[in-house]
Amino acid sequence: MTLTLQQQPTVPLEAEVLSPDVIAPLGLDAVRALPVFHGKRQRRLDEFFSVVGSPGDDLEIEGDLRKVKWIGRGMTRGRVAVRGDVGMHLGAYMKGGSIEVTGSASDWVGGEMSGGTIRISGNAGGQIGAAYRGSSTGMADGTIVVGGSAGLEVGMRMKRGIIVIGGPVRDFAGLQMKGGTIVLGAGAELRTGAWMMRGTIVSLKPIPIMPTFAYASTYTPTFLRILARHLATLGVTLPTDDAKGSYHRYNGDSSVPGKGELFVWSASAEASARQG
Amino acid sequence: MLRITGGRVYDPANGVDGVVKDICVADGRVVADVQRARTIDATGLLVFPGGVDVHTHVAGGALNFARGLVPENQRAARKFLRSPDRRAGLGGMTPTTFATGYLYAGMGWTTVNEAAVPILSAKHTHEELHDTPIVDKSSLLLMANNEIVLDLLEAGEAERARHVVAWLIWAAKVYGVKAVNPGGVAAWKWGKNAGTLHEPIQGYSRVTPAKIIAELAQIVDDLALPHPLHLHANHLGIPGNFETTIETMQVIDGRRAHLAHLQFHAYGGDDWGNMRSQAAAVAEEFNKRRNLTTDAGAILFGDAVTITADGPWQHLLYQLTGRKWGNLDVENETGCGIVPYVYKDRSLVNAVQWAVGLELLLLIDDPWRVFLTTDHPNGGAFWRYPEIIRMLMDVEFRKTQIAALPEAARSRMTLPEITRQYTLSEIAIITSAGPARALGMPQKGHLGVGADADIAIYPEKPDDGVLFSYPRYVLKAGDVVVEEGDVRAVNDGREFIVRPAYDETIEEYLRPLFQKVYTMSFENYPVELERVRNAEIRS
Amino acid sequence: MEWRGVAIRDTFAEAFDMYAARVVITAGSAAWARTAGQAMTGFATSVIGCKVEAGIEGDLDPAATPDGRPGISLLVFGVDQAGLTTRLLDRIGQTVLTCPTTACFDGLPDAASRAPVGGVLRHFGDRFQSSKVIDGVRYWRIPVMEGEFLIQETFGIQKAIGGGNLLILGADQKSALAAAEAAATAMRAVRGVILPFPGGIVRAGSKIGARRYKSMIASTNDAFCPTLRGRVGVDSALPENVNAVLEIVVDGLDRPAIEDSLRAGIDAACRPGVVAITAGNYGGKLGKHHFRLHDLCASWSTST
Repeated sequence: MTLTLQQQPTVPLEAEVLSPDVIAPLGLDAVRALPVFHGKRQRRLDEFFSVVGSPGDDLEIEGDLRKVKWIGRGMTRGRVAVRGDVGMHLGAYMKGGSIEVTGSASDWVGGEMSGGTIRISGNAGGQIGAAYRGSSTGMADGTIVVGGSAGLEVGMRMKRGIIVIGGPVRDFAGLQMKGGTIVLGAGAELRTGAWMMRGTIVSLKPIPIMPTFAYASTYTPTFLRILARHLATLGVTLPTDDAKGSYHRYNGDSSVPGKGELFVWSASAEASARQG
Repeated sequence: MLRITGGRVYDPANGVDGVVKDICVADGRVVADVQRARTIDATGLLVFPGGVDVHTHVAGGALNFARGLVPENQRAARKFLRSPDRRAGLGGMTPTTFATGYLYAGMGWTTVNEAAVPILSAKHTHEELHDTPIVDKSSLLLMANNEIVLDLLEAGEAERARHVVAWLIWAAKVYGVKAVNPGGVAAWKWGKNAGTLHEPIQGYSRVTPAKIIAELAQIVDDLALPHPLHLHANHLGIPGNFETTIETMQVIDGRRAHLAHLQFHAYGGDDWGNMRSQAAAVAEEFNKRRNLTTDAGAILFGDAVTITADGPWQHLLYQLTGRKWGNLDVENETGCGIVPYVYKDRSLVNAVQWAVGLELLLLIDDPWRVFLTTDHPNGGAFWRYPEIIRMLMDVEFRKTQIAALPEAARSRMTLPEITRQYTLSEIAIITSAGPARALGMPQKGHLGVGADADIAIYPEKPDDGVLFSYPRYVLKAGDVVVEEGDVRAVNDGREFIVRPAYDETIEEYLRPLFQKVYTMSFENYPVELERVRNAEIRS
Repeated sequence: MEWRGVAIRDTFAEAFDMYAARVVITAGSAAWARTAGQAMTGFATSVIGCKVEAGIEGDLDPAATPDGRPGISLLVFGVDQAGLTTRLLDRIGQTVLTCPTTACFDGLPDAASRAPVGGVLRHFGDRFQSSKVIDGVRYWRIPVMEGEFLIQETFGIQKAIGGGNLLILGADQKSALAAAEAAATAMRAVRGVILPFPGGIVRAGSKIGARRYKSMIASTNDAFCPTLRGRVGVDSALPENVNAVLEIVVDGLDRPAIEDSLRAGIDAACRPGVVAITAGNYGGKLGKHHFRLHDLCASWSTST
């Protein structure tokens, strides 16, 4: 089924009904009549979207969706393909299925998700896979892969699962992280891993290390080789060739005190220079 | 005008126990008879006086702080959407003001007593109580750690202390006096807690918790306030505290007092590893002392938010949970701590707590002296009261709940041996008639002529099998506000306040003291009477 | 029947229910993987004396291992699940955890019954260990002096069959051994089986119990000892031209694996100098798995 945004909302449109779980069991007319909130006013879905095809577990959503929020909220199955930039809370509370965005996404991608896969070809905002304000834990499982850049507090309080950001990331990646893995393909700005209790942050580019993280050793842990195999299936490359380099490990955040770890890739020439 | 006909009426205050009789209502009150009135057919239904919550936390600075501290609970809470009659709101552990009114009324409760108001945030509290629709409200002033009062007790000026207390009650426009961890909160400002009842507290040489309790109870009796001293005793929540609780009863001696949330004060053992129920010992002592009333403060498994002026206890609880902690200092008056908490049935400590609440309700022999509460939201949200009622009325159901507890916990409680089951009439006593009498509200808690027409009508055999969860009708001040468990109409409740007598010159004593130690000017301190809307003043 | 001039007796091998685990060890090199694998499967010939039977199933290419390093696959058999779990803990703890560069993975991911192996060995980490879930599988990472040892949290345990066997009756010791070596090589090539004895071959075949020593669980298989032929009281099973007998025992994950292995073994053993192939059994009353040699070779006889 294909839904194309025809009428650009003037204020954010809350459209958590755009989920296979909601749409698949319905008839076409019922899909068109699904409630969306345009600001505080309840509207029909077809006041904004054209709806074509037969309802099912495969949804294609197209258009300039930057003001459309909560697509795929809490979904447990199926596949949502988004063509165009999309608004906040994409795949929040998601439990299963997949979302693929050809374009960029906003803040809170996969907020408190517990399963499933979200892939974004372009950039994303902040608080990816994060805990909503007040919650003790963020993302509990699942996978988020962002091709481009990301904003603040990526993976804040995440407990399990994997987040991969291909492009540069802003401050506080892995803030208060409790577990899981964040892979930073192009590094991050300040305070990466601040207050992290457990979990793993891997950066393939040098990043500023907080003074509360202590250098431990240089190696390539076996789990990273397993992770690399898994990520390869998602089209993500994690270097594990001993000839090409290894990882500097830093333990922290000791101000919590935490049992987290920060791995920063170091190409072999650099690695040998450090040892020397 | 209204006639409720055909229902089985439970009005224990008037000796009516399940008799089928008509109840007539006119001008918001129960009357002897009405002509050409609308009739509510209550055949097959139970007619109860509206519930009275003697101890709850539904308004004010602390609760509002708690609302802000647990946005994750708010997100999961029941939503109330705006309608022509109703305001938007959220249920959950710390419901918003409007939702609080809807939830209480929706359960058949029509009067609530907000049990902890600092004078400095009394204005805020009254604003929130005004926005809590349908139910009638009263509130209690936090007094056992007020520095001006404690200083007077230190100086032996009991007479002046009485005038100050009376002045403060009227300044705050409240209904009675609450004492929380007497002396302990004052000590907390030094990072300490109160020790034994007879040790002077930090900063004083003569003021002990026992002295504060005895003198405040005496002041409340001397002022002839409708509700006795409402006491949150020392050492709340601590293993082994039952001895303090029994000693507290002895300190109160022949004076009146209401012991709040007794469940939190009836533990044996001396640490978390060997904590056990001492409800039997506490109940035995309590049964002998007819001057006392109490409420259960029962806990239910699941989410809760603990909110109390007992700051040092909350700090300890925060250290146990390692999650969130809010700590408020209210200048010279009191403080407050907030810690979200989850009671787990697999936890030995929580399982014992769960049993203690029920044991007290079952072992205290006089239902007129023990009332149903969860110390909302400390032991669980008030809207879960029907779950407790079910356990009181059905010993077999209770057994299935006990069977699910860890073996080690079952050996630390007497609940499995208790076979008592509450009757419907006894439920009417602990949920309405008893607390109304303890609050000194003669127009509440019964269905006799002249009573407020606050009436809850429940199905005798509810669809979900849980009595009292969905009233068929609720009347508040004669208006049908709930039908089929849904709020259909909203009216405003009243606020009961008292105006005790005091020597007006006490202001001349207070003013300079006040200007010296408070951040607020004396003139701005009292709550103006106009702020308390629908006030009903008792003197 | 006969095959390449060797008699194949009309009898059956009798085998038993067992439980099996598959342990995959990877290491920095194939040599270190094999070192760990050999140590892990050492002294594991028979449950009678070793409480466990284990062997190397085969080498694994880097492409076939979870971490992309060279590996080796081992099978470990025990008589019950609890005992097998204990042996895995002992053996992995002593021989893999300790061995440089290794990591240790479960090779039976589909087995419903799971033994907490990494989940117990993690305690060696003294709370410095950490875990990581990748693609739904939890791994424990235990800090060691050389880096960190990684082991999967749970290992699958499945029902299996132990004690499949062949007896190779040779004209002389040299011929019997050459035939047994050829058979063992062919049998090991089958996936899902191991040959737990040294080099896959056992010379000390046994009978249950003993005639004279009541405390013995097993004792020498006198009927197949050439030196006892003609001795009073010995009911020899050997014709006069047999001067050496060697046995090959095979444990497998399932019946087809054992069948394939036995069939390959018979085929390889039928060579000059071998008089007959037979199999050991206890009259069929002790083990519920019977492998009739003629059934295994049925396809050959019809085609020749």
